[in-house]
Amino acid sequence: MILSKKVILLGHFGVGKTSLIQKFVHSKFSEKYITTIGVKVDKKVVRVNGRELSLIIWDIAGENARQKVPQAYKMGAHGAIFVFDVMRPSTYENIEDDIKHMQSILPPMPFVLVGNKKDLMSEQKLNVLKKALPKNDFFFSSAKTGELVEEMFGKLAKLMTQ
Amino acid sequence: MRDREHKEVMGKSNLMIKLRELLLEEDRINQEKLTNEVQLLKDEFNTRSKLEHKIDPIIEDHLDKLKTDFPTLFGPVITETIKYQIKHSQDEVVDALYPIIGKLIRKYIAREIEMLSEKVDAQLDIAFSWKGWINRFKAWFSGSKETDIVFQGVAEPVIEEIFVIEQNSGLLYGSYSRNKTMDQDMIAGMLTAIKSFVVEAFKSGEQELESIEYESYHILFKSFKKYFLAVAVSGTITASFKDKLDGTVLNFANKLRKQAQEVNNTDTDVFSGYLEQYFKEINK
Ligand SMILES: Nc1nc2c(ncn2[C@@H]2O[C@H](COP(=O)(O)OP(=O)(O)OP(=O)(O)O)[C@@H](O)[C@H]2O)c(=O)[nH]1
Ligand SMILES: [Mg+2]
Repeated sequence: MILSKKVILLGHFGVGKTSLIQKFVHSKFSEKYITTIGVKVDKKVVRVNGRELSLIIWDIAGENARQKVPQAYKMGAHGAIFVFDVMRPSTYENIEDDIKHMQSILPPMPFVLVGNKKDLMSEQKLNVLKKALPKNDFFFSSAKTGELVEEMFGKLAKLMTQ
Repeated sequence: MRDREHKEVMGKSNLMIKLRELLLEEDRINQEKLTNEVQLLKDEFNTRSKLEHKIDPIIEDHLDKLKTDFPTLFGPVITETIKYQIKHSQDEVVDALYPIIGKLIRKYIAREIEMLSEKVDAQLDIAFSWKGWINRFKAWFSGSKETDIVFQGVAEPVIEEIFVIEQNSGLLYGSYSRNKTMDQDMIAGMLTAIKSFVVEAFKSGEQELESIEYESYHILFKSFKKYFLAVAVSGTITASFKDKLDGTVLNFANKLRKQAQEVNNTDTDVFSGYLEQYFKEINK
């Protein structure tokens, strides 16, 4: 019998949540931006410490003024991935508040922080950004090249089974 | 003599003048009349409202005539055009219409049967109707409801799939499926999302989503505290089917409660086993 865990992806619209899941589950990437309406559920089985674990991944639409997403989508999650776009400061400026907000509505659970679209930024600028961020345990990923995509889900899977 | 001549001439010319005056006077009046009339016409022509007043009835008349005569006047031409279009693009027309008509007919028939069935139900409810009693006896002896006897074999309800899903997380406890087509975990998640969406979008609070219908499919939801059941049914749902289903759902829930201590409640295989055991009966 395979154990299942619910994973939610959070973050502003257009930061690459859907793209990261697409890359992770289907090894695909598309330049086209099709904003997620509501939520889409995907699934991938991973191995953690020699045991299979089924990740039920909830790709939740990034909220904006026009689209409010039911809080219920986040309920019952066992782990979360916070995604922001390294090129758009507005997507990470309030990341600490966003995390606090999540912790106020959900019971404690492991999460990972992800700065996505790394391929669009020079090493130099990335280093500046890293210093400016409040924490240092970020994954700097690219859904386009696949860099650190497996790793972020792997890390979360491990945290969820501890 | 001259004088006389002169007088004569004068008299003549006087006469002429008189005559002319007489004649011209009439002319003048006529001309004046004409001028007035032309002026009036001009006025009418230049003042839209006045003109409309005159012309509208005429146009209306023509329009009425056009309306009533349109089919005869233009019908043949239009029919020909459409005929030609259909003839020369049959595949496209069929392609476009087939799915719509198919769906419509299926939905229509399912709906009609549902309504007819309800009507028959109502009729049979007339308590002292002799025929009703006879039907009832028949039903008792054959073990099915009277209405169902009438429609046996027509779009019988069949349980296609059942999911037992944890509330909130949407994780699948177990499922029973006649033909596994999609990933069960993903369906469970999406069903949970739809349920949450309805609750939140329509601010229904304590009220729960009871069913979703699409084409001739129904998904019925039965909520319990920790989990809910989603039952996908094809065909026409009869009252007796609903009764049977509700009964089975309750039995099943009881079974789960009793075994809650022994059974690891995330063991999908055990759950699925129970589901099959309980719900296969209904499909017979
Ligand atoms: N270059 C580059 N583009 C990316 C990357 N990740 C996503 N994109 C592009 O960014 C756009 C938005 O990506 P999505 O994955 O749809 O974003 P999202 O977070 O799911 O957006 P919402 O569903 O609206 O909340 C798309 O055009 C992607 O192709 C990346 O790592 N590198
Ligand atoms: Mg998306």
